[in-house]
Amino acid sequence: MVICMFRLSCKSMMFRVISKGRVKSPWIFHLNTGSCNGCDIEIVAAFAPRYDLERFGCLLVGSPRHADVLLVTGPVTRQMLPRLIRVYEQIPEPKVVVAVGTCASSGSPFLGSEMVEGPVDRIIPVDVYVIGCPPRPEAIVKGVVTAVKSKFR
Amino acid sequence: MDAAVAFITSFPLVLVVSLLFEGIDRKIHARMQKRIGPPIIQPFYDLIKLFNKERIIPVTASTRVFEIMPMIAAAASILGASILLSNTLSGLGMIGDLILVMYLLAMSSIALMVGGLASGNPYAAIGFSRKMSMMIAYEIPMFIAIISVAFGPPAVLTIDRVIKFQISTRLPLAVSSLSMASAAATLLLCIPAAASVVPFDIPEAKTEIIYGFLIEYGGPYLALAKIAKAVSNFTLTLLVSVVFLYIPSLLGEEALINLGISLSICLAVSLLIMFATITVPRTIFARLKIGQAFKFYWMLPLALSILSIILSVIGL
Amino acid sequence: MTAERDVEREVEVEYTRLRIPFGPIHPALKEPVLLRVSVRGEEVVDVDMALGHVHRGIELLAEGRNLIQTLYLIERICGICSHSHTTCFIQALEEIGGITPSKRALYLRTLIFEMERIHSHLLLLGVIAYEIGFDTLFMFTWHVREKILDLFEKITGNRIHHAMNTIGGVRWDLTPRMVEEIDAYMREVEKSVKYIHNVFMDGTVEKRVCGLGVLSYDDAVKLCVVGPTARGSGVDIDVRRDHPYAAYDELKRDFSVVVERGCDVYARTEVRILEIFESINIIRAILDRLPDGPIRPKENVFRLMRGIPEGEAISLVEAPRGELLYFVKTDGSGGLKRLKVRTPTFSNLIGLKPMLIGCEIADVPVIVASIDPCLSCTNRLIVIDQERGESNVIDVDSLRHRVRRRWMRQ
Ligand code: SF4
Repeated sequence: MVICMFRLSCKSMMFRVISKGRVKSPWIFHLNTGSCNGCDIEIVAAFAPRYDLERFGCLLVGSPRHADVLLVTGPVTRQMLPRLIRVYEQIPEPKVVVAVGTCASSGSPFLGSEMVEGPVDRIIPVDVYVIGCPPRPEAIVKGVVTAVKSKFR
Repeated sequence: MDAAVAFITSFPLVLVVSLLFEGIDRKIHARMQKRIGPPIIQPFYDLIKLFNKERIIPVTASTRVFEIMPMIAAAASILGASILLSNTLSGLGMIGDLILVMYLLAMSSIALMVGGLASGNPYAAIGFSRKMSMMIAYEIPMFIAIISVAFGPPAVLTIDRVIKFQISTRLPLAVSSLSMASAAATLLLCIPAAASVVPFDIPEAKTEIIYGFLIEYGGPYLALAKIAKAVSNFTLTLLVSVVFLYIPSLLGEEALINLGISLSICLAVSLLIMFATITVPRTIFARLKIGQAFKFYWMLPLALSILSIILSVIGL
Repeated sequence: MTAERDVEREVEVEYTRLRIPFGPIHPALKEPVLLRVSVRGEEVVDVDMALGHVHRGIELLAEGRNLIQTLYLIERICGICSHSHTTCFIQALEEIGGITPSKRALYLRTLIFEMERIHSHLLLLGVIAYEIGFDTLFMFTWHVREKILDLFEKITGNRIHHAMNTIGGVRWDLTPRMVEEIDAYMREVEKSVKYIHNVFMDGTVEKRVCGLGVLSYDDAVKLCVVGPTARGSGVDIDVRRDHPYAAYDELKRDFSVVVERGCDVYARTEVRILEIFESINIIRAILDRLPDGPIRPKENVFRLMRGIPEGEAISLVEAPRGELLYFVKTDGSGGLKRLKVRTPTFSNLIGLKPMLIGCEIADVPVIVASIDPCLSCTNRLIVIDQERGESNVIDVDSLRHRVRRRWMRQ
């Protein structure tokens, strides 16, 4: 009985440590699927000194293999669709997807275009939507932190 | 302390200290850029996370090599660091001399290179060839500088003898003679390249070849690679601080009795060295090109190291 | 970065040549473009470009919407030079409709225009610093850039898409306090940019970018590159001076066109830094001589929109990246028959090939960044045929056809 309890508490400790590690170090991969650059520069601005996403342990990594969080901007264009899926598959589990910007969340104002494959959530599961055109860096920071906290805890 | 105990305890110590060093480096780097920066224990979080991620092995990779190489890299660098640290810790003659430490360090980076190459990614191939030429550029001066210790006043290569020599002369090696000073300078100049930070992070340039040979590594493998890198950076700085700048030697025989104090002084010195040779260059320089870096290493450090060996043969 | 499967397909080792796909997902290129770079050792021997990854069909969409909707749609062509796009579009509309905006409106348009130029150039300087691995400089330039964004937010309420233009004028006015504030901010920005200039003149940056990506004067003229890319190669063109629009006619004496003869990445960078100072001068002149008056017509915009007759017009502006051209054809009932945008990056991308050939792999990202590619602008209706060395703009239908065909193949 006591051993069992001890084991359980050990296990829960482990889980807590692991989830803490995950929450504290979300590495971000940013994918532009046809955005207007507005969102992209706001994401980079979120890493710049004023907002400094790195204080939450975030890093902007260049290879999906290293990433935990996928930031998607832009309505998904036809050419980027296969690449979006491929990048999503390349990211090792556990992962979260954050759709940044109105484009990625709902597709407007490009909705109805021949070349646009609709918003991101039609293609891959999205965990958090950050609305705005473009959203402020604060909102992006909040979006990333919320996504990580809700999924990895 | 007993030598064997020292050796065993130094394993976890090496891990913790080198990760802390990395955290401090990142924090200072951020501070110098007007940012707040991640917490100092950030590398631990990163590792915990990475170890619990999915393992992905690319289809183009030759699986065995790809899997095993990060482990070899991490093991080699941890071994190198703990040989160094346990010698400082115990003050007793143990296994290992300077050549062995250097060899283990080189092995750890070669293992990473080979593992990256095995992933079959073209960027990794470029990273491999770049790292190869960088290693030729910095390893040669580094080895010559270490060898000049054997020719120089201490005339030994085992670490504890070097430490004892410094204690007996009551002077750090680097200030004791001209040849050793230039050897120490060579090593200091080689650290940024060996740690592959800007301006010499050519093999792992993020914006050019996306981390080079680390590109396909993810999850636990990446964690091992990170450990290997952090520990080998730490080893390099500790090497300089123990072999060339053993400040506790000013205390004389005291240094061997109060090992705790001398160890903490050594660590503080190596932290300073890390700040000067890793944090500052990566904050204030732009990345060089491979040709420029090669030229730099074969001009200054190589000349310095050859000077040091000549001087030490003459006996200056 | 491409996936391992992709790599398998795209990398072919022919003798000593290695083909490396740069992009479309590559951390150095903030935007998707696929450069197929063939290298021998570290040297680039051939470049091939594939565009269209962010093709969203904006021109086609515009044809189905009314003018006001289009105004907000084309603002979303590019997030960095959104004001240039709307200004260019509005100018064409005003020409068709015979509407003359008030003096104050024109001055305010110019003010935002120049602020946008500063913000865009600072952004680019940061990106160049980032490409050469100089993180600190990148952080610093982006820190300075935040100040300009603050100003934008104070004036228009938005950081990126300002939505400043409307038919016949602008939407937001300046208060006297704001004028003072802008002046104070400009002083700060000028100081910081001087510092940035010093750093760029410094040895480490210079060593890295001098003599890189040479585009000779002749090539620049032949390939019709525009904007800072052309000015960095000694071609003296600037729409602001040659075909003045908005308030530039009256501000002619307050700025000079910066021309450098270095022809390399360094020259292009320096042109941009010096242009920031010119922009600050223009802004000061505007604040000095800001005329009084209304900022837009009293009438409702929708009435104005419906009043625009059928017609067509071409309008030109000097966007931060160079000459931007709009061809607008209205249908007389508040809609568009045809909209054609020729963005500066489209002209400049062609210049990339002579720049890249012969350089090292390490330099590819810097050189690509040095023309300041804004691919969201470019990827609308373009097919570049590198084999025949020509580029042609194809019409919507055949493009649609092509896209579909490629899609099927995938
Ligand atoms: S949401 Fe707005 S700013 Fe973001 S990509 Fe879309 S149009 Fe651009």
